[in-house]
Amino acid sequence: MKTIEFYNHKLQINKEGILFWLEKEIAIVSDLHLEKGSSFASTGQFIPPYDSEETLKKLLNVIDNYKVKKVILLGDTFHDKDAFHRMSSKVRFLFEELIKNYEVIFILGNHENKMKIDSINFYQEYVVDNVRFIHEAVQENINQISGHYHPVASIKVSSKKITTKCLIHTNNHIILPSFGVFTGGLNIHDPVLKPFISQDSNIYFLTKKSIYKFSNKEIESQY
Amino acid sequence: MSDNFKLQPIQNWLKKNNWFFYDHQLETLNQSINGYDILLIAPTGGGKTLAGFLPSLHDLINNNSPENKLHTLYISPLKALTIDVHRNLTNPIEDQNLDIRVETRTGDTSSYKKNRQKNVPPHMLMTTPESLALLLADIKAKEYFKSLRYLIIDEIHSLVNTKRGDLLSLNLSRLDTISPNCKRIGLSATIKNKNSILNFLSQKKKSKIINIQEKSSPKIEILETENRVPWSGHMASYAITDIYKKIKRSSMTILFVNTRAQAELVFNKLWHENENNLKIAIHHGSLEKEIRRKVESLMSLGKLDCVVATSSLDLGIDWGKVDLVVQIGSPKGIARFLQRIGRSNHRFDEPSKALLVPSNRFEYLECISTIASIKANLLDEVKDKDGSLDVLAQHILGVACSNPFQIDELYLQIKKAWPYRGLKKQNFKEVLEFVRNGGYSLKHYEQYAKIDLNKNNLYAIKNRNIRNKYRLNVGTIVEAYMLKVKLGNRTLGQVEEWFIEGLNEGDTFLFSGRVLEYQSITNNNIIVRSTNNSHPKIPSYAGGRLPLTSELSFQVRKLISKKEYWKNFPNQISDWLKLQFKFSALPSTEGLLVETFPRHIKNKKRYFLICYTFEGRNANQTLGFLISKKMQRMGYKPISFVATDYALAVWSMNEVENINIILNEDIMLDDLYEWLEETPLLKKNFRDAAIISGLIERTIPGHKKTGKQVMFSSDLIFNVLKKHEPNHILLQVARNDSYRGLIDLDRLGDFLKRIKNNIVHKKLDRISPLAVPLVLEINRQTIDKSEVDEYFLEELENEILSEVGLN
Repeated sequence: MKTIEFYNHKLQINKEGILFWLEKEIAIVSDLHLEKGSSFASTGQFIPPYDSEETLKKLLNVIDNYKVKKVILLGDTFHDKDAFHRMSSKVRFLFEELIKNYEVIFILGNHENKMKIDSINFYQEYVVDNVRFIHEAVQENINQISGHYHPVASIKVSSKKITTKCLIHTNNHIILPSFGVFTGGLNIHDPVLKPFISQDSNIYFLTKKSIYKFSNKEIESQY
Repeated sequence: MSDNFKLQPIQNWLKKNNWFFYDHQLETLNQSINGYDILLIAPTGGGKTLAGFLPSLHDLINNNSPENKLHTLYISPLKALTIDVHRNLTNPIEDQNLDIRVETRTGDTSSYKKNRQKNVPPHMLMTTPESLALLLADIKAKEYFKSLRYLIIDEIHSLVNTKRGDLLSLNLSRLDTISPNCKRIGLSATIKNKNSILNFLSQKKKSKIINIQEKSSPKIEILETENRVPWSGHMASYAITDIYKKIKRSSMTILFVNTRAQAELVFNKLWHENENNLKIAIHHGSLEKEIRRKVESLMSLGKLDCVVATSSLDLGIDWGKVDLVVQIGSPKGIARFLQRIGRSNHRFDEPSKALLVPSNRFEYLECISTIASIKANLLDEVKDKDGSLDVLAQHILGVACSNPFQIDELYLQIKKAWPYRGLKKQNFKEVLEFVRNGGYSLKHYEQYAKIDLNKNNLYAIKNRNIRNKYRLNVGTIVEAYMLKVKLGNRTLGQVEEWFIEGLNEGDTFLFSGRVLEYQSITNNNIIVRSTNNSHPKIPSYAGGRLPLTSELSFQVRKLISKKEYWKNFPNQISDWLKLQFKFSALPSTEGLLVETFPRHIKNKKRYFLICYTFEGRNANQTLGFLISKKMQRMGYKPISFVATDYALAVWSMNEVENINIILNEDIMLDDLYEWLEETPLLKKNFRDAAIISGLIERTIPGHKKTGKQVMFSSDLIFNVLKKHEPNHILLQVARNDSYRGLIDLDRLGDFLKRIKNNIVHKKLDRISPLAVPLVLEINRQTIDKSEVDEYFLEELENEILSEVGLN
């Protein structure tokens, strides 16, 4: 895990893309996109229906090892409004393990627009100690942790280009990578992310083995 | 000519041009009239195409005012060939005012034309395997093809044993059911597995092969050069001046190379020599279609002096008066080379001429072996391939789109397709289940099933949408993700994504015969501008990618093994082998020669292990990896390895003692399967299988998926699938494709068996002469590409040669 100084808070990012605020016993993760695989079936593409299981198992396996009481899901937990009902019994079981063992806060993402599930309350935002947890970053000068963009970044390592999911830390913004096993990515240099990235941003590359921190300046100097 | 042959109009037309029927053309006609399906094997320029059409023309001519029904189907693998043949056929038809309507139908045909062809069928339709699959997936397919009398498949040898051929074979078997009285003619180049091809074409008892040999053996020579053949590398730079001299003296030359990178480099070097301002052009698959068409047209008009080309010019079309074929580097296979030579001098009864230009010493031996093999009429063995299951999945959906089917009937029909003759019912059912709902063990997607039993107990598609989507995804060719190279408004061609990954703004590279400067990427385009630089910064890998065939590698081993074979070669070769014999040993045809010796790399003592397998680059690459893994487990501390077509070299920190344990067959294969599971190759083959089988769409109507998006998704799907359904059909397909392809597993297995208990180990105190090219190759490959300095390499080379006594 690598430590991120977010104002006077110590946060830690692990290589799977989960952000820990251990002082508060909170784990934060974003964009699970559960049932993304099965969402293609109606169009005739039978994508293997195992992504939800993988995603939930991945999450539970990591947070079970830490002292975590609360899990904040930064939105797009579900891929679409019918996703909850498509979950298989195995997935449902894992999902229930999650909400049984932790206090889970569901932030509402754009994929969950108009979603209504009896057992779930969706929040537009959630605040802990002047840190705002939201789905999509806003151009306001507030401390915020969000997801939505599925950021990925590329860096050259001895003439070979490596692209991985990443976390963006710019002053008082943190943007988390997407956690879902079938989620794709948007490059940090895409114009859409321009308002949230500067030369001084720190980019944390997440690989199978470890986490590598680079400043955006260093990355850009390669191009 | 007998009265039975009422081909007067064709005869008249031929006479006009001072041409006559060849014997084999008449024989083809005769046999076909007698009810035989025919495989005609003839070299290029032998009037094959006309021979293929004679039976059909004969039937049509004698059938005054034929109805508006499909009579003849001509299938070729290339769109361009289809168009070309159409043009050639229309000449006599128009000239003699025959009432025969001929049309082409490919991916490029307009929808207006396509509709017309469906409503008012032409007598003869020229098409590709993919367009045929689409026609057969139509509801009215049975009606359309019922009247078919003749089916001609051109360049059939290039389709057999590929996924494209698999798809075609399935459609042929459907046509068998729809029009059982149709007669078939296959046209093929010279190839070894003739009977396989005949079976592919037709399994009727009344089927036969007509085999036409070249009247005279081709005249092949190795180019004599001013400079010596280099020890390693894949460039023919040493011979460019001599090649240029030959081009000057010929009317039109085709210079064949093995890769696009080689084509660009050779083309570039030739232009530096071009003091006589000869018209030299370049032709390869990555160039924009317009550029290629222009070159082709200039060629047929005789307006070019030379074309530098890759396999893009291998098939079919008439190229005009080519009187010299030059092959740079080894052709890597006998049949392939014969087919290329066939391009020179289209006159059937004169010997064709060809020149070989080896790019290193080992290739010299390969070239000699090629010449010897051709003299002895030896050809490369081609292993029969089982029909691919991803193609079968695509086909099953296509059948359902055409009409509801009964499961057992379909199974029997599929088994009649030659590559699928061994298909087990169990596998068929698995594929069917996959098509229906993805084939997952818990049937997650049953409610979305694409095909289901209808009230007549037949499998039918659930709705029309499925048919529309199917039509967009037909085909077995999956393109690599390509980016367009744009110079101003012009598109010069396409390059693979990996090529761009190493480029920075301002870098220069060779493409389309120019030195271009990379500026930026937007969407799917690489923006470049011209430069006046004559030397590009980015070197491209110029090594061949085609592996040496087994036959040719055996010939080379044989050539080296006995002094009497090579003692009369030019000194640069015979001295080399003499020294090897004295200092170490010559590899034999049986068994394996292994050498070990120490060398210093950057002042550190390293131990080299060289295996002279001659099994081709791919198998050697795999073997290199496996040996390294083994050595690691045994504590030898391997550092790296390098493989060529002839040998592989592993260097390590500790000296290897027991060779036999390392090369043990059983332990090898376990490691191999384990390793394969992690390779990018498996993922790539999985991606292809996912697209061909219809798991992932190529394009979604309404959204255009970029190549990258498809690639990304398939990798994620792959990992998840491996975990949950390790024996899923698509994973099976991906593994089979990998074993057969780059890994060359069969070949490796045969090799390990062959050398069992037959390893000759020479423990040396320094590098052997035979190892010199390999060690130089190591230097070439391990030095940082941006620092490749020819001078530096030359220095190193001199050093090594002195060491060995070859200087």
